[in-house]
Amino acid sequence: MLNIYIWFYTGVVLAILGSIGTAIGPGVKDPLVRALNTEIAAVGVSLIFLTYNHTIALVTYIAATTIITMILLRAIVRLEEVGAEL
Amino acid sequence: MSASVLVPTVVSPIVVSLYVPAIFTGLIVGLIGLMAIAYQKDDLNALILTDIVGMGMLILVAAVGTDLAEALILPGLVVELAEILAISEILMSREMRKKGETAELIPLPTSMDMEVMTTAPTFLAIILIVYGAFLSGFTGGAVAGGGILFYIISRRMRGVPSDTWEGIAGVSGIAWCLWLVGFLVFFVFPQYWLLALFLAAFGVFIKVAFKAGLIGVIGREEFNKK
Repeated sequence: MLNIYIWFYTGVVLAILGSIGTAIGPGVKDPLVRALNTEIAAVGVSLIFLTYNHTIALVTYIAATTIITMILLRAIVRLEEVGAEL
Repeated sequence: MSASVLVPTVVSPIVVSLYVPAIFTGLIVGLIGLMAIAYQKDDLNALILTDIVGMGMLILVAAVGTDLAEALILPGLVVELAEILAISEILMSREMRKKGETAELIPLPTSMDMEVMTTAPTFLAIILIVYGAFLSGFTGGAVAGGGILFYIISRRMRGVPSDTWEGIAGVSGIAWCLWLVGFLVFFVFPQYWLLALFLAAFGVFIKVAFKAGLIGVIGREEFNKK
């Protein structure tokens, strides 16, 4: 059967790769690309929560990630509308 | 590295075996985020990177395992959310003051003139709030807050009644006091634990549900500017 370590280490790899991608990935000068890259790390963190059986934390985290993405996208769009140099 | 320092027997051996890799993952993710922030000149990009630092923190907390981690992750999430919301507001208002022009409060690429926005909000909001009250506690608060938020967003199209927010913020504060009283009763009068439990559960429910009041207060200030 599938070993639970698979989920944990997939989560670890995704979290680290996602954070590296957010930090120095291609095209991260654009804040939109950077904000979307955080999603990869978020999936990794979700898998780690899943391994630990943190159900309520996982559900709340998924909701919080969605709201954080919405807040960030709103900030990016509003700042671009104002004409700030990003 | 010996993880046999003071591990209670309720912690499963898998959690103990995953402790060291999880701690190191959290540290690596947090370090990557902090280094990137240090090299960053732009404020908005630094704000996005704080999200990564928050994830490192969450992995570190999750490594504890058991219910303790779950109890610590929830407030961590709320604090991270509030922090990003507050800092993004500050960034936006500062840029707007600098440039001297304003943007829409909620910028939308399409006009949200959908059927569901005019006919359903009251019904959906009531269902979500009732279900949230039934759940009670943190999760119920989140569900009911989602209902209130949906109602506000769909009603914004016709104009928000901006005076009501003052009242909602006040109720939120009182509910927070209920939660504190419930917590105190747990320790001072342990025989009334059921009362304390319900005070805490419904205090947190109302408090989390009216977190939407925060967004409403921001909205009121935006409307006053005109």
